[in-house]
Amino acid sequence: MTLPSRWASQLGVLAAWLAAGALLGLMFGGMGWWLAAVLALYTGQTLRNLYRLDRMLEGHRRPAIFDTRGLWPEIFARVDRLRAKSRNRKKKYHRLLREVRESTGALQDGGIILNADHEIVWFNPAATRLLGLDPTVDIGNRLDNLLRHPDFVAYLAAPTPQGITLPSPKEESGWLTVQIIPYGKNQQLAIVRDITPEVKIERTRRDFVANASHELRSPLTVIAGYLDALADDEELPESWKAPFGEMQRQAERMTRILTDLLELTRLESSAGKAEHEFVDVAGVLELIAKEFQGAAGKATVTLHLESDAALLGSESELHSIFYNLINNAVRFTPPTGKVDVTWRTAGDEAEFEVTDTGIGIPEEQIPRITERFYRVDPGRSRASGGTGLGLAIVKHALQRHEGTLTIRSQELKGSTFTCRFPAARVVFRGGVTRAVL
Amino acid sequence: MEVEDLGHHISRRFNEDLEHVRNSVLAMGGLVEEQLDRATKALSDADSKLGLQVAEDDIKVNRMEVSIDEECSRILATRAPTASDLRLVVAIIKTITDLERIGDEAEKIGVLAARLASVERPSTNYREIRNLARHVKQMVHNALNAFARLDTKGALEVVKADDVVDEEYESIYRQGITFMMEDPRTISRIMDCTWLARALERIGDHAKNICEYVIFMVHGKDVRYTGVKNIEAEVAQGTRRQETRP
Repeated sequence: MTLPSRWASQLGVLAAWLAAGALLGLMFGGMGWWLAAVLALYTGQTLRNLYRLDRMLEGHRRPAIFDTRGLWPEIFARVDRLRAKSRNRKKKYHRLLREVRESTGALQDGGIILNADHEIVWFNPAATRLLGLDPTVDIGNRLDNLLRHPDFVAYLAAPTPQGITLPSPKEESGWLTVQIIPYGKNQQLAIVRDITPEVKIERTRRDFVANASHELRSPLTVIAGYLDALADDEELPESWKAPFGEMQRQAERMTRILTDLLELTRLESSAGKAEHEFVDVAGVLELIAKEFQGAAGKATVTLHLESDAALLGSESELHSIFYNLINNAVRFTPPTGKVDVTWRTAGDEAEFEVTDTGIGIPEEQIPRITERFYRVDPGRSRASGGTGLGLAIVKHALQRHEGTLTIRSQELKGSTFTCRFPAARVVFRGGVTRAVL
Repeated sequence: MEVEDLGHHISRRFNEDLEHVRNSVLAMGGLVEEQLDRATKALSDADSKLGLQVAEDDIKVNRMEVSIDEECSRILATRAPTASDLRLVVAIIKTITDLERIGDEAEKIGVLAARLASVERPSTNYREIRNLARHVKQMVHNALNAFARLDTKGALEVVKADDVVDEEYESIYRQGITFMMEDPRTISRIMDCTWLARALERIGDHAKNICEYVIFMVHGKDVRYTGVKNIEAEVAQGTRRQETRP
């Protein structure tokens, strides 16, 4: 084992002291006394250096050291270097922290960090501005104790990536979206965004569509009325019969589009969930099916009522969900094909399913077909007399009933549309009512 | 009492129970706030359907009161809390009673708003009442914030704000009398308005009560019926005591 040079030098120093003591002992006699004196001196010097080191570690400046040999100058130099290094690192972290703080402070969106118990760990100034959180007292408070809207409390218990829209607790008629993102070890980040302008624009758009549809409907009624009267006129020349028929059909189609548009805006603007009326699904379906079963030259519609469960919802909206889906299936199925309509329960939930043997939908288009006026093939929907709004209505009405729509389809083989209603909306007959009003 | 004091219990379950019941109170508060919000919206938008919906939903508030009440009784019976824990439980039992009453008043407002939606509206669309409603909503909001933060200064502000609400109610009441004398045909509408304003004024009183419980919970002093001046002094003294405590 080789000793580091500084240790060798320190031992050298000790040896030199002892040698000097021994020499003095030889010269003047009393060897033991001299050696003891030399060792005491050496110990004193070591203690003095220890004292200096201690002071230095307490934060005093590096002491002036005159020794050049031995371990001590080296130790002082190394402690000094370590101190400088940690000082630099601290400065760097400080700068980094300040930058992070400044950048999060400049953010327009509120950011709040929550721990596993939903207690606030940190938030930026925008969160103060948007939610009224107080940086001096709110750290450690639960976020749902301060943002108490029932929808938010429910959302915090089971966050989804979509986030949630809430009325602002600070601004009247202001709107916010809050999104909770889990990360790390049970930590959560809440992002709060002010969406008041978007909500206003959306409302203006909706109002415009509703007003325009409404205003267009009255003149159209007059036109359709005269067309009806004229088409029935005995004196109408034969050559005019076909154009009049076409005009009548188009006027009727326009009326349907306007009705659908109004229905859609109504669904969009009625905030929140549908009411909880008792709806006899079997009865509604039987009525709709009868309407389609009578028609000649159309696919056959068969109704399979596997359950007598009823739903809690809005009767008119449920009617429009069922009607639009069956109507779609019939329109896209050749007269030789068939359409099966099924109402059944699956566990606590209920399912409405329409299966057809029609032309189907290409797979890549399925996610888009619930958009308004979206057409799989520009020619086909118009030829079949659709308004292009049916599925959009279905989607919105279902959302208001907390239901989901699943679409499966194979081109040229047919499609299956399944609506699933949650347990809270389903009423099982036969004395047992499992739903809560 | 500080929020951290809640962390000093030997039994972790006890701690969780207290924390849970406190959270439930604030969740109930959130529901009541939303009820009040929707009820006043029903008035300003002349939305009778919304008004009746609010009245129907009051049952949710009542259910929450019952369940929190049960939980408090359970804590009292099984844990026998003392000192600040006891004050917390007692304050919670009182607070939920007032919250439930606010819910009842919101229900009344909903029904009245539904009735007013079908009659002719003044050109101001009940501006004074909407103003009063805004103040009262703010009071309830701040009272619940004070409860959540155990903030006695915030509670004091709410107690003070109640005077403004009382004045506003008084002026709506006087104005109503004038209208009724001028034109007896408006009597039934003005009566409804007065009842509505009265309900709002009562909500202000309940918010004030909640704030007094917050002061009781934090400083251990019952400040009911002692006047704003005294409450102010108590809060100042209590805060000083807390600051000097090691």
